[in-house]
Amino acid sequence: MKVVVADDSRVMRQIVIRTLRQAGYDWWEIEEAENGADALTKIQAGQPDFVLSDWNMPEMTGIELLRNLRGAGDETPFAFVTSEGSDQMREMAEQAGALFLIAKPFTADTFRDTIDPLLA
Amino acid sequence: MTVTTMWEVLADPDPIFTIAEDLFATMIDGEPGHLIRWYGERPAILHPTYTWVDVLGGDQDARVLISMGHDTGDDLARVLFDLEDTDEVPGVDFDDAVGELVNVVGGNVKSLVTHPGALTMPTVSGGMPDMSGLEPIVDACVTWKGSLVCVSLWVFEEKSTTTP
Repeated sequence: MKVVVADDSRVMRQIVIRTLRQAGYDWWEIEEAENGADALTKIQAGQPDFVLSDWNMPEMTGIELLRNLRGAGDETPFAFVTSEGSDQMREMAEQAGALFLIAKPFTADTFRDTIDPLLA
Repeated sequence: MTVTTMWEVLADPDPIFTIAEDLFATMIDGEPGHLIRWYGERPAILHPTYTWVDVLGGDQDARVLISMGHDTGDDLARVLFDLEDTDEVPGVDFDDAVGELVNVVGGNVKSLVTHPGALTMPTVSGGMPDMSGLEPIVDACVTWKGSLVCVSLWVFEEKSTTTP
């Protein structure tokens, strides 16, 4: 399974990937993106199975990335991992077509509990 | 000037303590109990590092500021990057790791109020940012491995004309 992890913070990309491995997704083939614009290029080129994206990023935010993809007819499954988990943000994410929003800080259990049902 | 603000729901330090404890328990220590709430007079922070995010464009602009010693920032960066205790932390990685801490705290703080606006990107500096025109709402300190880490929330007396 090909996955794009987008976050402008290198350390957060590492933490997300490390936590995904701890959660049991060590079979995922993960490509990193430094911001929304970088992610858009990589998604269009690599056609991943899933995108996990931060929200607040330079160049192009996560929500702009998602709207851009859906506007272009790209239905790649998409979810957010972001520091802001308010009801308002969750609603905005859902309306734009995101599968879920995981708020930082998170644990491997958080990932497993959220992602496993979607993979089943 | 005293600012009446929607952020006053955070004037009690408990929510800030809880956010910090969750952050350290999940992403730094892997278990709770390593962060100790600090009450009373504070020792000076030697070789301080400041990192902050602003919350702009909502009903009232605010700033979340974290201060700590540079050595503490190095230790936290090593943990976050999964490095050895003796590994050097390049400046760019230090800024990334310490900035991400305030990004997470700021995002969680923002989630506790309605119509807060948007977060700016984190800034990291060895110097305190210009705090003129800001009023403190809460200032809470913890110790991590014996070192002081302080988190404060401030509101701008006047609304910014720009959004992030």
